[in-house]
Amino acid sequence: MKALILSALKKRRHGPALSAPRVLLATYILLAVAAPLIAPQNPYDPLQIYGWEASSPPGAAGGGGYLYLLGTDGLGRDIVSTILYGLRISLVVSITSSAAAALIGLTAGVSAAYFGKWVDVAIMRLVDLQLSLPTILVALIAIVTLGPGIDRIILALIIAQWATYARIARGVALSEVGKPYMDAARLMRLPTRRIIFRHLLPNSIAPAITLIPIEIGHAVALEATLSFLGLGVPIDKPSLGSAVANGFQYLLTGQYWISLFPGLALFGLIASINLVGEDVRRKLDPRNHAQ
Amino acid sequence: MGMISAVLGRLSQAFLLLVAMSVIGFIGIHSVGNPVFNVVNIETATPEDIRGATIALGLDQPIWHQYVVFVDNVVRGNFGTSYIYHLPAFELLMSKLPATLELASIAMLIAAPLGTALGLVAGRRIGTLFDRTLLQASVSALSIPSFWLAMMLILVGALLTGWFPSGGRGTTAHLLGQDWSFLTANGLWHLVLPAMALAIPNIALIARLSRSGTIEVESLDFTRFCRAKGLSSRRILFRHTLPNISVPIVTIIGLQFGGMLAFAVVVESIFSWPGVGKLLIDSIQLLDRPVVMATLTFVAVAFVLLNALVDLFYAVLDPRVRLSS
Amino acid sequence: MTVDHTNAPLLRVENLGLRHVSGASSTPILSQVSFDLGRGEILGIIGESGAGKSTIGNAILGLLAPEFQQTSGTVSFGGKAMDRMTAEERAALRGKRIAAVFQDHTASLDPLMSVGAQIEETCLALDTRLSRHQARARSIDLLARVGIAEPERRYGNYPHQFSGGQRQRIVIAIALAGAPDIIIADEPTSALDASVQKQVLDLIRDLVDETGVSVILITHDMGVISEITDRVLVMRKGKVVEADRTSVILDQPAHAYTKKLLAAVPRLRVTTGPPQTDGGSEIAADAPSGEGLRVPMHLVAEGVSKQFAPRGLVWGFGRRGESFGLRDVGIRLPRGTITGIVGESGSGKTTFGRILAGLDTAPSGRIIIDDQAYDVARSGRRSGLLGRVQMIFQDPSVSLNPRMTIEETLEESIRFGASARRQDSQANVASMMDRLGLARNLLARHPHQLSGGQKQRVCIARALLAEPELIVADEPTSALDVSVQAEIVTLLKETIAERAITMVFISHDLAIVQAMCSAVYIFKDGRVEDFGSSDFIFARSDNSYTRTLIEARPQRFTC
Repeated sequence: MKALILSALKKRRHGPALSAPRVLLATYILLAVAAPLIAPQNPYDPLQIYGWEASSPPGAAGGGGYLYLLGTDGLGRDIVSTILYGLRISLVVSITSSAAAALIGLTAGVSAAYFGKWVDVAIMRLVDLQLSLPTILVALIAIVTLGPGIDRIILALIIAQWATYARIARGVALSEVGKPYMDAARLMRLPTRRIIFRHLLPNSIAPAITLIPIEIGHAVALEATLSFLGLGVPIDKPSLGSAVANGFQYLLTGQYWISLFPGLALFGLIASINLVGEDVRRKLDPRNHAQ
Repeated sequence: MGMISAVLGRLSQAFLLLVAMSVIGFIGIHSVGNPVFNVVNIETATPEDIRGATIALGLDQPIWHQYVVFVDNVVRGNFGTSYIYHLPAFELLMSKLPATLELASIAMLIAAPLGTALGLVAGRRIGTLFDRTLLQASVSALSIPSFWLAMMLILVGALLTGWFPSGGRGTTAHLLGQDWSFLTANGLWHLVLPAMALAIPNIALIARLSRSGTIEVESLDFTRFCRAKGLSSRRILFRHTLPNISVPIVTIIGLQFGGMLAFAVVVESIFSWPGVGKLLIDSIQLLDRPVVMATLTFVAVAFVLLNALVDLFYAVLDPRVRLSS
Repeated sequence: MTVDHTNAPLLRVENLGLRHVSGASSTPILSQVSFDLGRGEILGIIGESGAGKSTIGNAILGLLAPEFQQTSGTVSFGGKAMDRMTAEERAALRGKRIAAVFQDHTASLDPLMSVGAQIEETCLALDTRLSRHQARARSIDLLARVGIAEPERRYGNYPHQFSGGQRQRIVIAIALAGAPDIIIADEPTSALDASVQKQVLDLIRDLVDETGVSVILITHDMGVISEITDRVLVMRKGKVVEADRTSVILDQPAHAYTKKLLAAVPRLRVTTGPPQTDGGSEIAADAPSGEGLRVPMHLVAEGVSKQFAPRGLVWGFGRRGESFGLRDVGIRLPRGTITGIVGESGSGKTTFGRILAGLDTAPSGRIIIDDQAYDVARSGRRSGLLGRVQMIFQDPSVSLNPRMTIEETLEESIRFGASARRQDSQANVASMMDRLGLARNLLARHPHQLSGGQKQRVCIARALLAEPELIVADEPTSALDVSVQAEIVTLLKETIAERAITMVFISHDLAIVQAMCSAVYIFKDGRVEDFGSSDFIFARSDNSYTRTLIEARPQRFTC
């Protein structure tokens, strides 16, 4: 693992370290972290919101002494602030759920490959079952079952995503288990723990790790979709997705900014995650640094 | 033999899936809320009214018993009666199906050939401007959340320009006992935006797959051998590369078609397209349990059937599966 | 012989130089390569990996990847320089005048198209006047010509329905479709079993004699060279070190490298030699039950049977493939000896080796080591068999954990190996490195920084450091270049003898087995087909399969 990261870092020095997607993603993260400091308004605080200024167009001056740079939404919340706070929720939800899904999926997949027999059958039946349905459907069923709330959303996303990691990790681990160096380790009568952690995991983990950025992108989109369908985060604490959703009814009456700007922010976020993710995956692909 | 075992394997998996689906879905829907309050007025109902409604809906029985009754009914094609529409749930579902089917089919008819062709061209010209543009465009297309894409299509295609209608099915015509939009000019007009919303991410996905498939197949020994034996590059492309990349492409088309039935949830709600997806979302929000179960079961069955079709297609396509006796 | 002797050579390569350019780095691949090819001639090009021999073939075919840049010289066909031809002219030569046969017969054929159609499309592409009907007739002729039985019936079959040897025959049929002047055959028999290899080489020789086609045969195998070539080009690191008639190269090699290559080829003795003096060599062939054995047995395996479940088994509807597995296999290993297991692919020899080491289980059979019996139906870890036997595997590139340094790998072997005695591990590792001819500075490296031969030495060191009494070596040399092979065989034999280890040596190569082993078991289709002392098997056994295996070897290296 250490060698893997080191070699990735070494590669980084040769490549363009400051590609556009990376800068964009870094900006997003900075903005999310600093949101309470830089947002003109706290959209969660009813005292700071002026209902009579609802649906103000971009550039309108507000009574609270704000300039509504991107306008206000149907409840009078400043769109810039909604985006900044929504960004936090979207990122927290997607990163938490992807990390947890990766951990669970990786453990399940590697265990299935190493122990085989009924462990493998049990885990992979479940994985196959789940992967034979579209992710959005699984997330939908999960959230309908679990009920509303941010914690439930995270749980639903973990349920929807762990199987992808499990299948990848199992596939890789299975091909590693069949390699002679694993046989050699067994012939030494190494303790099972050492075989798994010293030999199997370090060699199986890379492809699953490269999945994480891409899956975070998926998680952002999934959360946004669920929120859009009214099954996600509560309306008073909108994520980027629910901010777009809130603007949908206004779109048809011409108040396009309520959904356009949060949507653009969302698109940029997912695109930058995906591009950086692809980049990471290419760099960590063993076929690219075999020599 | 290979075909039989493929079909049997798929069927056993389908059966397991359906059992699991029905249990999860049944219990899940059950825990969401009390649907009795949808049939009686929560303000004025007496306890007797509530008890009467509970018994009428069969909700007084233990949960396993309700499940058995449910499965028994499902096997006979009876998902119960919608709490809201007071119609048999399955009938309701079937009445919404043509709208979804025509939308998904048209989107796939656009996406599959276009995506495959773009990917083939890019895959044969790796690193060229066209290839790089396609890669970037496909990442972007896959990054657009489907609901926002749909909304922006409405904004640009309907609100700003007024070229296309922003929702609804338009005029429909009758065929095979169902109403279809694609048979009338006005209906087709209404199909354009929602079909684009479904097709765009799929074009990107299929193009990426077809590109990587092309690169892989063209690097194989037999394409080198085909060149060595004197075949023209056009013949290699159409007779060798294309059949060989079609296996993964057909897979993704099958899966994505099922995915469209599911993703129609989003697109249909935005375009007020009265299909299965809109029905599902409305029913979830109204706690219309029989309809939710009927819809989820239907989508799962459809998905499994599509998977089975894809497997069969493998067998048709690949002699190694077809003739492995 | 209907060889058409004209004065001008059919193909002339003069002073050919090529570089591989990727990004800023540029590596020379070929330099100053010159040779002529006459009509009806088989020219062999031999060299080890990295010699650039395949690049020559691709350059002649015009199939070089764009990263390869020609830096000097010309290739002329029929007196015309090919680099002055247009791309269309070159494409027109391919298949029609210059055809190719590649190593991997499975990858050479489109799996989704029937073999008949693949030959037919080649005929049609090369001769536009042919009607579809004529093309079909010609395709069937070609199938018959390369020795496919019932060509009409097999015409519509798909590649996976043929055996490896048949597939390579079909590839040759495709190469013949345009009645070419030259066939470039790149390792055409390397993926085939020895007995099949022989038949395919005979076919090529027949075709040359009959049709007068010329063949450039690229190979790493001196045996193939000795069997059918007329002239040989010996290549090393992109340069021709020697070129001459085959008989001259074989009998009076001039260049040191050629001599080294020849010396490295293991030779099989089929005449009765002086009786071997190593302990335990005299397993009497007429006493299969084990009577009359004078040496104590270190390991005895009895009645090992295993049926492989067919793939894709669902509710009894499975695919019926080749019946792999083991049927009632037993072997006896006298202490301190090396016993060979010989067999072709699918003979079950590798599975059996893994069962001996406790890595695989079998439903029936038992293994007795030093009077302690192990039930092979139980997993090696449970029965205690695992760890008593160490293994050396075929492919060193996947036998070492890629994320551990050599030192970590070797120390693990000392810390956890069978003896599990905590000794001065560093001193042990260092002396083992010295013994196996490995520089100590390799210890800090990762496996991918080592050559194939070095990696295999590390694998041997790993096995030896665990201080086993028994080792199973499964084709330990077949992934290595021939000159490295010889070194590894010698090293293995010496180190095993020093430690009085009992070894099972699994191989498909009779000559290496003879050089290593005092006793030999011949496996065929999961059974022991023949066994006895090495001396007996190679010189006196009258088992027909054993004789077939021996006769399939190149005569030149059998004495």
